[in-house]
Amino acid sequence: MLRIGIDVGGTHTDAALLQGDDVLASAKALTSRDISSGILDALDAVLRHEAGIERHIEAVMLGTTQFTNAVVERRELAEVAAVRIGLPSGRGIPPKTGWPGDISRSLGDHVYQLHGGYLYDGWPLAAPDDREIDSLIGDLKARKVAAVAIASAFSPMNPAPEKLLAGRIREALPHVRITESHSIGRLGILERENAALLNASLLDFAARVVDSFEAAVRARGLDCRFFISQNDGCLMDADFARRFPALTFASGPTNSLRGACKLTGLSEAIVVDIGGTTSDIGILRDGFPRESNIALNVGGVRTNFRMPDILSIGLGGGSLVGEDGRRVGPRSVGRELLARARIFGGDKLTATDIAVVAGQAGIGDPARLGDLDATVVSAAGAEIHRMLEAGIEQMKPGSDPLPVVLVGGGAILVREPLMAASAMLTPEHSGVANAIGAAIARIGGEAERMISCEQIPRQDAISELTLAAKRNAETAGADPASLRVADIEETAISYMPGNVVRLRVKVTGDIAQRKGGGASP
Amino acid sequence: MKLLAESLPDLSSGAVFLATGGGGDPHVSLLAAQQVLAEHGGVELIPVDELGDEAFVAAIGSVGAPTTSLELLPSTDDPAKALSIFEEHVGRKLDAVVSFEIGGGNSLIPLIAAAGRGIPVVDGDGMGRALPEAQMMTYPIAGIPSTPAIALDYMGNSATFSTDSTETYERHIRAMAQAMGGMITTVEHPMSGKQLKSSVVPGTVSFATEIGRILRRKRGNAQRILAPLREAFTRSLYGVPRHLFTGKVADYSSAIIGGYDIGKAVIEAFDGRGPKLEIDVKNEYLLARLDGQVAASVPDLITILDFETSTPINAERLRYGQRVTVLGIGCPAFYRSKQALARVSPQRFGFDIDYTPLENLGTRHQTP
Repeated sequence: MLRIGIDVGGTHTDAALLQGDDVLASAKALTSRDISSGILDALDAVLRHEAGIERHIEAVMLGTTQFTNAVVERRELAEVAAVRIGLPSGRGIPPKTGWPGDISRSLGDHVYQLHGGYLYDGWPLAAPDDREIDSLIGDLKARKVAAVAIASAFSPMNPAPEKLLAGRIREALPHVRITESHSIGRLGILERENAALLNASLLDFAARVVDSFEAAVRARGLDCRFFISQNDGCLMDADFARRFPALTFASGPTNSLRGACKLTGLSEAIVVDIGGTTSDIGILRDGFPRESNIALNVGGVRTNFRMPDILSIGLGGGSLVGEDGRRVGPRSVGRELLARARIFGGDKLTATDIAVVAGQAGIGDPARLGDLDATVVSAAGAEIHRMLEAGIEQMKPGSDPLPVVLVGGGAILVREPLMAASAMLTPEHSGVANAIGAAIARIGGEAERMISCEQIPRQDAISELTLAAKRNAETAGADPASLRVADIEETAISYMPGNVVRLRVKVTGDIAQRKGGGASP
Repeated sequence: MKLLAESLPDLSSGAVFLATGGGGDPHVSLLAAQQVLAEHGGVELIPVDELGDEAFVAAIGSVGAPTTSLELLPSTDDPAKALSIFEEHVGRKLDAVVSFEIGGGNSLIPLIAAAGRGIPVVDGDGMGRALPEAQMMTYPIAGIPSTPAIALDYMGNSATFSTDSTETYERHIRAMAQAMGGMITTVEHPMSGKQLKSSVVPGTVSFATEIGRILRRKRGNAQRILAPLREAFTRSLYGVPRHLFTGKVADYSSAIIGGYDIGKAVIEAFDGRGPKLEIDVKNEYLLARLDGQVAASVPDLITILDFETSTPINAERLRYGQRVTVLGIGCPAFYRSKQALARVSPQRFGFDIDYTPLENLGTRHQTP
């Protein structure tokens, strides 16, 4: 299968052309203001690989930080009505409580709490109130609010109240865009509600961004399926991405780790992405990033999305080196490396200068470093290795050595094998690991609920959830035959008799092959 | 002294530190307390020795499964409402309220109640940490009856209790919590100012706030935060924190047995060499063993901090691969009496070992 992965970052837009497991070509272009011309530049560069190849491309996968950046920078956010169904619980803690003022204002002052929802055991908390619903709809109409986020208590277990309300709103106001929280997150109403709110606020922008992505792809004659990568290393089709842009939050580090997995064929490894200012260390376990258990905070708003467990240490190609070479970083010349490093005629001694003098890289003008003392070079080299060893040791899952994959431009800083490494790999195309990660992303689906193991045998609950997760994955575009269980998470609920646990099943699979590889979804 | 909304994030993070892994995530209680204290211009925090002997006080807090409050949010007016129901039940007005436990979200509920009713909250609590059962509180250990007591649920339903012992009371509130949506607010252990002075762990609300302030100002590597923490604890009822271990979680498993989260964590050094630290969990971190030898045990405090940020980690958030520093801290003297140990010794939690105070465990900790 021929496919293209594209990563639209803040600075660079990268592309990679893959045939099965092989990377045929890769390219870097500058991200443009209008996004699409940057994509076209990168696309053109890889399509040059072979004349007429665009007709044979079966899928394009795109990773992007556009939606994360919109939230962080508080731009392109639409006003949203925040509706929580859970009264009489939660009085005094309305939606958006604890949000930074500026982003809360960006979404407008439209906050509602309605009666309804369920207890953990399915007992109703309160009956839905028709008058409340009617008055909400009247208010939405009067205020001309075009987006709504709905969250109800225990909706991941029983979404009926959210569905009922969404149905009523759609009936009365068909043009309103709605995000129902059960479709976007797991247990934890505040975080799930926040995710639904950010998502609803991005719907309008998402429609435009996804259209422009698609237009750029189609402009080059690529009449194939088109996907966008999400934070768990899985893909969504264009229509799904228009409805769930928030699922792209934090997809960057995931794609980088997945790309490293693809480039090396390793499923258990330590991945070190050495950039200009920091080295980001992550762990591949069973081919996927090890997740952090800290809730992802996007622009000051707590969400229940997870992101890979990444340790950032202050060591990069632009890190400043002390006079005696014993101190490296955390201060860095960053993006000004090409102007301020000594090999490029600047006056700052950087980690890159050290690598060049030590003969690890042939860039810049080494003659400019003629007067540098050899003891400084060796001390700095030793410090760089010590920093990496210490960081890797913290992240490494066990005491046995694991392969270390170096990606990113700063990989030249590493001269000797690291002690924690059973092997050291610096694969070709590692500079575009993100785009490769996007290209190989799978289709995933999840389902979760609380169960009492005394009432339902655990295995039955898992089978039932697996079916639900598979249905979700199929909806997202997966080939049903390739689906396998990727993760079963079981969380005990303390202080509750009856062996109550929260079960979550996640499945992933390959992209469904379409006959003729033709129309987009 | 007025406690203001601004100091609540520090109190809440200090409360997680003192919770020794239990007490639940106080995030939602913090949001609620911030709203209420901002609305009422703070709450009066009264030092234990300034409370009159004749004052009428009761303990307030939440009982149940912290996980259910992930979905069902508390209401900011419920704690004050619970006080009114209690007052009506006993036919007497309260002069002040006091906390069950300083560990976790229960450190904040009394503040919400007191601010809502315009009465002071006592600077102290009934545990000095977090513990799983009512009979482990200092109040019943000192002989104060648990009832009359009341419970309030999410929907506004209430129940009253009259029991012959704290053990029976504990059974009844657990059963009610299950029937009332998983989590209830209770008002219990009515007592006089004089009784309170003989049983409370004093000063813990302001002390937790001080710990939280240190965690915020000195945020960073856990080994560097040890010195300022030691300095603060030297001036407290607790012992001085001892560094037990730094490493990563090599194994963590948990299961529910008898309504508790029972688990075991194994922590090994970053380089995988040398002895490993094993921690037994029953909602809280109860027992730490270094190569099979006891390094710290309940009622002394075992606290786990994130190695890079020094953020305290509660048991629900502990995961395989996490990089952590484990501290041991001697408990307040109250819990070392024969009477208290009869309720909170390691044997009471099913461990076949005698309690040895942390300071007598010599050099059983990782050599840095």
